[in-house]
Amino acid sequence: MKIEEHETIPLLATGTKRTKRGTFNLKLTSMIDMFTILLVFLLKSYSAEGQIMTVTKDLKLPESTSQMQPKVTSVIAITQEWILVDGRPIEKLENIMNDELLVINPLKDELTKLRTISEGIGSISDQGGFTGNITIQGDRDLTFELVKRIMLTCGSVGYNNMLLAVNQIE
Amino acid sequence: MNLKQSMGSRLKGHAEETELNLTAVMNIFLILIPFMLLTAVFVRIAVMELSLPSLDKPGQTATAEKPKSTVLNILKISETGFELNSPDLNLKKLDKTDNDFNWQGLTTQLNQIKEKYPDSEDILISPEDAILYHIIIQVMDRCRESGFPNISISG
Repeated sequence: MKIEEHETIPLLATGTKRTKRGTFNLKLTSMIDMFTILLVFLLKSYSAEGQIMTVTKDLKLPESTSQMQPKVTSVIAITQEWILVDGRPIEKLENIMNDELLVINPLKDELTKLRTISEGIGSISDQGGFTGNITIQGDRDLTFELVKRIMLTCGSVGYNNMLLAVNQIE
Repeated sequence: MNLKQSMGSRLKGHAEETELNLTAVMNIFLILIPFMLLTAVFVRIAVMELSLPSLDKPGQTATAEKPKSTVLNILKISETGFELNSPDLNLKKLDKTDNDFNWQGLTTQLNQIKEKYPDSEDILISPEDAILYHIIIQVMDRCRESGFPNISISG
């Protein structure tokens, strides 16, 4: 036992000696460089407003240089297959394309419902109410024929201020 | 000179280089970067406003719009190209080149109109049924950039 104790003491001594002499330091320069670049990039894409609107995955918005901020409204999303109002599927595009009528009736019914709801809210409180604003998220490869019919339907219900959602590019 | 000498003597004195103490900077970065990553927005969504003439209050819109709109500029988009019409201006039809629209030509023609009628801000876009939505958005962009912010679309 005694012999062992004697052997451990010199070992400990060398250990403390090592840490004292060369406080081993990391080379952080390149890491700092990386962080600085990352920080600048993140500051550039920083936004304090948060996102009002989200877009479904199968919807590719067209690009535009518009700077106007989205408003809080009901959203009509038109994907390649469906028309959705606030995320609720309304009608398949196939069924509409063969329709003779320009106004899309299922959409019109839904929008009329929305209008009565928002008018009802407007009558009992100062905030909210019917403003006639509606956001249209259209897929970039839709034809004008369909967009036109949707705009006509919105207009016929009284939603006259249409906000076309776009992907902002610098 | 003084500095160099002192530096030299210091280097000679200590065998190792002096290092900056970066711990504080690292701490700031480590806190800032996750925070920034959380608030970063990679896909920015904007909107373009498009108003139909209101049916509810016809009196208001009529009085508001009449003094402004003096010139009627019409831009037709068809499968073959653009066709811009403005009173008293003979503008050539812009055909597609290499399966792409003549964007350059459109901008020059819009600037021509702007030169002739600096006050006019309205333009009526009339696309054909088969024109794709992103083309229309692009055309609206060009119009806005050339100084025609009041865009209306006719079917």
